[in-house]
Amino acid sequence: MSTTHDILTASFFELFDVPVSYDVDLTKVQQCYRFLQSQLHPDKFASAEATQKRLSMQMTSRINEALQTLTDPVLRAAYMLELKGVDINLDNETTVDAEFLMQQLELRESMETIKHNQDGEGALDKLDELSQQVKQQVKKAMQHFSAAYSKMQLDTAREWLRKLQFLQKAEKEIDVLSAQIEDDLMI
Amino acid sequence: MALLHIAEPGQSSAPHQHKLAAGIDLGTTNSLVATVRSGQVETLPDEADRHLLPSVVYYGKTAVLVGNPALEYSLTDPHNTVVSVKRMMGRGLADMQNNQQFHSYRFAQNDSAVPRIITQAGEVSAIEVSAQILATLKQRAVATLGGELDGVVITVPAYFDDAQRQATKDAAKLAGLNVLRLLNEPTAAAVAYGLDAGNDGVIAVYDLGGGTFDISILRLNKGVFEVLATGGDSALGGDDFDQAIGNWILAEAGLDKLATHAANPVLIRSVLQHARRAKESLAQQPQTDINIEIEGLHWQGCLTRERMQALILPLVKNTLLACRRVMRDAKITNDDINEVIMVGGSTRTLLVREKVGEFFACEPLTSIDPDRVVATGAALQADVLVGNKPDDSLLLLDVIPLSLGIETMGGLAEKIIHRNTVIPVAKAQDFTTYKDGQTAMAIHVVQGERELVDDCRSLARFELRGIPPQVAGAARIRVTFQVDADGLLIVSAKERNSGVEASVDVKPSYGLTDNEIETMLKASMDYARDDMLQRSLREQQVDARRTLEALDAALAKDGDELLSAAEKDSIMQARQYLLDNIDNNDAESIKAAIKQLESDCEAYVARRMNSNIRHVMQGHSINEYSENKE
Repeated sequence: MSTTHDILTASFFELFDVPVSYDVDLTKVQQCYRFLQSQLHPDKFASAEATQKRLSMQMTSRINEALQTLTDPVLRAAYMLELKGVDINLDNETTVDAEFLMQQLELRESMETIKHNQDGEGALDKLDELSQQVKQQVKKAMQHFSAAYSKMQLDTAREWLRKLQFLQKAEKEIDVLSAQIEDDLMI
Repeated sequence: MALLHIAEPGQSSAPHQHKLAAGIDLGTTNSLVATVRSGQVETLPDEADRHLLPSVVYYGKTAVLVGNPALEYSLTDPHNTVVSVKRMMGRGLADMQNNQQFHSYRFAQNDSAVPRIITQAGEVSAIEVSAQILATLKQRAVATLGGELDGVVITVPAYFDDAQRQATKDAAKLAGLNVLRLLNEPTAAAVAYGLDAGNDGVIAVYDLGGGTFDISILRLNKGVFEVLATGGDSALGGDDFDQAIGNWILAEAGLDKLATHAANPVLIRSVLQHARRAKESLAQQPQTDINIEIEGLHWQGCLTRERMQALILPLVKNTLLACRRVMRDAKITNDDINEVIMVGGSTRTLLVREKVGEFFACEPLTSIDPDRVVATGAALQADVLVGNKPDDSLLLLDVIPLSLGIETMGGLAEKIIHRNTVIPVAKAQDFTTYKDGQTAMAIHVVQGERELVDDCRSLARFELRGIPPQVAGAARIRVTFQVDADGLLIVSAKERNSGVEASVDVKPSYGLTDNEIETMLKASMDYARDDMLQRSLREQQVDARRTLEALDAALAKDGDELLSAAEKDSIMQARQYLLDNIDNNDAESIKAAIKQLESDCEAYVARRMNSNIRHVMQGHSINEYSENKE
């Protein structure tokens, strides 16, 4: 049997009919996602027998996972390294790039300062500024990952994945903090 | 629908036959049933032309009354009259005892995870009370449509957790309904409006019912409804407005708050009823007179709209906080919202409309009756799901409202599936054993956003058994957490070294076990009937013939292309076995033969689905599914 479009076994890139690349065409991915959902969603099998229902659920679960993976910069990078057989369990490792670590430390310090010293409105503006800075860093890290991966420098790519993870965590923390401040302002 | 049949776009299935389907809004205060007839959606009235069925059930000594007749007893006989049962769905005894809403009931002390109310007609659980309401709506639909229903869509608050959804599904089962889908109320409302307006964009659905609050953000695009994020509070609604007003009345009358009158349910219900009436009339006029004459409370006064708004403002603000959170989850701002849809009777309160309009900076849509909009959307979806509209492009992509996690060391909850992930979704996690020869393990699944297990909602404990004994740490048990399109969790486990499937025993924290459901089903009216077995036999026979027909058609089309000789052989054997059993008048053996055939066909069905996708992909341009640029 052909495996090119075997939903349960094809790679996420094959699923959406796009080449394996970090700079993936997200518009095409979304289009293909909608198409697959329109054909395979459990709603299309609401009156079908159990086997088809279950397969439809498993297939769309996989399609959803594929979309989530390819549209998230960190998950996409990790998945691509996994495709190359790279161990991406980074939990117990720290990055060695001293300059990057310094940057992260400063970022956390700025957040702490904002948390304790600013009035609501002013704090939100400052956080917004920080968030923009992090976004710039993410963009850069993504470019580095893409370049390293396409040159098959997988160790370097792995290092950039680790940095992307740091940055994504920072983004989330900034979001959580601004959410808290916004909520406090409303009450 | 027949086995193996795959409807191809633009090609209707089998000879077209109109199926009977209905959408049911099982509400806290009122319930409704709607259906599509000759292309028109309509909610169905009772003989007295009332569309809303009050969600009230009275358990009398000789009869059970549902709806308006039961309503009369809610004041005079509160112990035996169950109101706002939706708030009790999927909840435990402790939840009930901590909430003054339920103080008018007497609860039985027993081992079941599902609390039972003691009435003069016996003990009943929230699931059985809901089943009574559903059965009444079913009768109404059957009488109007003139035949048994092929399937229904039942709506639930988007914010309902797994236990609440499961309880709703169990209630439907008890009422003898075939549930095509549990549909989130805001999504249903969007469907009702979406098909009218036909305009694409981002919409917010603000749904404030009697007992629940939901806020959902959806993106509409060519018939695809994509839920971006959902949030809310499953214990906040118009009832809380009534409580705030009720407490004010008591304070004015020089009495203590509602919570202190647990021993006097008549007083509580009477005060709440006056509070509700006052609230409703203040939607029309600037002030209203209240006059209460019951034992222990004689009070007369005037409530102004301003005063009421001050009383409920904190509650309305709470809903807006939830709106802000959900927009953040959806990664959008007020500017991105094209429309706001108002759902639920409580959105008639002027302050709610005003504050929501201010918050989203646009005039909320109220053109469809907020009480009927959910049932309307559910009926439209039911019509599509049952197969009456094979060409319809309507597709709903919903999300899981609350994160699913498992308990880890130190009572921490480790998230496995994050909230607002599109469903269906599956996540696998590997576990290992910590003792030599260990053959079983338990996994505690919780739902919620907090870090400590104790702060989350306990869903169930899954006990895995039949793990092949190995030295500690050698077993690799892959546990798959699958959430289906209804938002319900299914757990399966496999030992990866041996490939042995572990059996999974579910102990729901707030739900019925399979045995309890079985017992209730047996006890329920429908299943006591003598003709039940006959009906079941006929159903199985029809099912079997359909299955055989579809299989033969499928085999003729692509059997040789997709199956090896050996695979085809085993399918033909199972086919023959079903043929041999079809006329032997035993429903169970026919059922088993169908099941065997289906299981032998599994790989074939999967290949057909895949091959169908390839086929359609070649025939169509994927661009047809592109997003509209605004």
